[in-house]
Amino acid sequence: MTTIEELNPELKGIGRYEYGWADSDSAGASAQRGLSDAVVRDISGKKSEPDWMLDLRLKGLKLFGRKPMPTWGSDLSDIDFDNIKYFVRSTEQQAASWEDLPEDIKNTYDKLGIPEAEKQRLVAGVAAQYESEVVYHQIREDLEEQGVIFVDTDTALKEHEELFKEYFGTVIPVGDNKFAALNTSVWSGGSFIYVPKGVHVDIPLQAYFRINTENMGQFERTLIIVDEDAYVHYVEGCTAPIYKSDSLHSAVVEIVVKKGGRCRYTTIQNWSNNVYNLVTKRATCEAGATMEWVDGNIGSKVTMKYPAVYLMGEHAKGETLSIAFAGEGQHQDAGSKMVHAAPHTSSSILSKSVARGGGRTSYRGLVQVNEGAHHSKSNVLCDALLVDQISRSDTYPYVDIREDDVSMGHEATVSKVSEDQLFYLMSRGMEEDEAMAMIVRGFVEPIAKELPMEYALELNRLIELQMEGAVG
Amino acid sequence: MTDTPVGDAVETVESGTIRSHLNPPPSYDLADHPVPVGTEEVWRFTPLKRLRGLLDGEPSEARLTQENSVPAGIEVSHITAEQAREIGEVPPSERPAALAVSLAGGATLVDVPAEAEIDEPMVVDLSGDSVDTRVWGHTVYRIGNHAKVTVVVRHTGSATYCSTTSFLVGDGADVTILSLQDWADDAVHLGRDAIRVGRDAKVKHTSISFGGDLVRMHANVEYDGPGGEAELLGLYFADAGQHLEHRLFADHTAPRTKSRVTYKGALQGQGAHTVWIGNVLIRKVAEGIDTYEENRNLVLTEGCQADSVPNLEIETGDIEGAGHASATARFDDEQLFYLRSRGVSEKEAQRLVVHGFFNDLIRRVGIPSIEDRLLETVEAELARNVLKES
Repeated sequence: MTTIEELNPELKGIGRYEYGWADSDSAGASAQRGLSDAVVRDISGKKSEPDWMLDLRLKGLKLFGRKPMPTWGSDLSDIDFDNIKYFVRSTEQQAASWEDLPEDIKNTYDKLGIPEAEKQRLVAGVAAQYESEVVYHQIREDLEEQGVIFVDTDTALKEHEELFKEYFGTVIPVGDNKFAALNTSVWSGGSFIYVPKGVHVDIPLQAYFRINTENMGQFERTLIIVDEDAYVHYVEGCTAPIYKSDSLHSAVVEIVVKKGGRCRYTTIQNWSNNVYNLVTKRATCEAGATMEWVDGNIGSKVTMKYPAVYLMGEHAKGETLSIAFAGEGQHQDAGSKMVHAAPHTSSSILSKSVARGGGRTSYRGLVQVNEGAHHSKSNVLCDALLVDQISRSDTYPYVDIREDDVSMGHEATVSKVSEDQLFYLMSRGMEEDEAMAMIVRGFVEPIAKELPMEYALELNRLIELQMEGAVG
Repeated sequence: MTDTPVGDAVETVESGTIRSHLNPPPSYDLADHPVPVGTEEVWRFTPLKRLRGLLDGEPSEARLTQENSVPAGIEVSHITAEQAREIGEVPPSERPAALAVSLAGGATLVDVPAEAEIDEPMVVDLSGDSVDTRVWGHTVYRIGNHAKVTVVVRHTGSATYCSTTSFLVGDGADVTILSLQDWADDAVHLGRDAIRVGRDAKVKHTSISFGGDLVRMHANVEYDGPGGEAELLGLYFADAGQHLEHRLFADHTAPRTKSRVTYKGALQGQGAHTVWIGNVLIRKVAEGIDTYEENRNLVLTEGCQADSVPNLEIETGDIEGAGHASATARFDDEQLFYLRSRGVSEKEAQRLVVHGFFNDLIRRVGIPSIEDRLLETVEAELARNVLKES
């Protein structure tokens, strides 16, 4: 078989980049580009999956071909589905402890600051996704004793097939949308979490994802089940080095929160500026359950992401906190979707976005109140900050109310950084960059304070990086 | 074509066009406005079946009965559709307006000379007596520089009516417009008021809808120079089975312009449906914009549906301020409780709450002779339903 390097000699020259970095690429060489029946069968075969999963994958492939590309939101016409590797197996086996990880992978994570977090026991277990399979995975023993399952999704299919089959694809059906169908057909990796009845997981479960092979699609699949009266906070973050051609990231996250349970899902997405990030995230809430999405979008070329909560039982509650930064060449089309399907349900969406350098941020949200969902309440707040003349900000808040006894509120403001604010800070001896970053930090503070501490620090660093050279 | 946001921005500046899926580009060519099927973003709230074929379009000589009260100094004449175009009316951006322009058989031109200050309002009374014939209306108001005028257009009776009206407001002019839809229960009305605001001019436009089976009104504003101000007010009261739709579009085409939108509505009875769409577009050239939109809906009984969608599209970072707010709710139980604890009966308390809800808006209409009658109409609407039930 011809290797990618032979086909594309110029790739050899891509070693180090000024702003991005990439490890030597050995896993990607054997992966095929393009999507076909054979590729899907091959993925399933390599993983020795049961037949029902293969059938589901093939069904996903068929629906992917049939579903139309979305015509709203961002321009997706540049995605070349034939030029993407759909499965890349890491050449390394799963490692049992940090020391066992290969040197270059360790270096990758050092730059992301994982070992420190591990040392300080800030995270309960790290499922670090390196290429398509999880190579490092650890759960604290006390969690295991409580019956909490926290493994990568491939392992979950092998070891907990019954539980897996019961929930997989129930929140987001195979044919939900084009990219969910694609994910179903080629998914690999992701996290699987089960929290048994009444168990309260005190520390956030954390996983890092990285794309590390050029043109490799990352199609992780995450499934979280929070049983009655249980609680878990899952934290996902991702960064990627810069590559030459466009990458596609299309994940599916399904969450089931049972009666009285509570789940919080925190993401800070910082893909490099050539990644199409098209993600389907959805949770269902039974009676009295709470789902909270904390969603940060900083990187990527295009992000289309609308975490959804289906409020299926009385007094269920959904909440989304969303921040987006769009710099040069970026379009962050983010928002949230709340579906009220039962009485006395409540939802709230708080969105903050910052656009600079010709970037574009869009808030796109839907609040739907179905017939019978009386006494529902919903509140939507969107604030946008523009720091220069060439950036763009849009707000598209859709509301669909089919019930009369409902209280619905929506408010949006768009503002620019005022000269008064800058003048005041600069008269106190601050550089303009610094002052700008401080104003932006203040603007996103209501959401930043909801983040785990190390994430809030990372976010602040990222804001400073984003604001460098934003003025002048 | 470029596909990056930066490319878009450059392209926008160069060509003066913008991609906005909410607001199709204007055109006189009917082929550019295909017959809607109902799934289009701009049509998805409207029950097309109840339009009685108003979108298919055939020429009609039928007219509404018209009684004008024209104050001295204003001239009314009839012109051809071509002349209306030459005058520089606002071109149609949707099928109903395009149909009205091409099928009405000419337009009415109302001329208000420059510098004229006319205190007495011009009142146009339009009424119909049948829903069987389709009627097309095409009007152009040309208001000279620094003129001051008030225009009231009142719709009553039964009709299947499609109208487009341009208000070309000269530099520094001060114009107050009121469009009142007080139709009989079987009327269908698709209307568009398109306003072009001159440099430093001030326009106040109020749209009030009480009657009709289906009423879908557009109020569009664009600016011909810097410093223009537009205040768009609206009030609607939907009863059982009524569909009342109001679509606003403030297109900030010039720097330092201002728009303020306040629409308030009440709904009562099975199948009452109101739609409010507020679109604001701030173009690249339009720096220093100040805009705020607000929609409030009060749901008085069960079985009503209120849709409210404020959209903001902003192409430049140099703005004074932009925002919108929308809320839909039932009676405030605390307000009712407070009033009842003061010995006010429940139905009187409800009446007072609705009265207070609309009162400040009505006081802003700016036409004293109309304001009191509007309050009376609101009271009469309330008497029809809420008071009867409780």
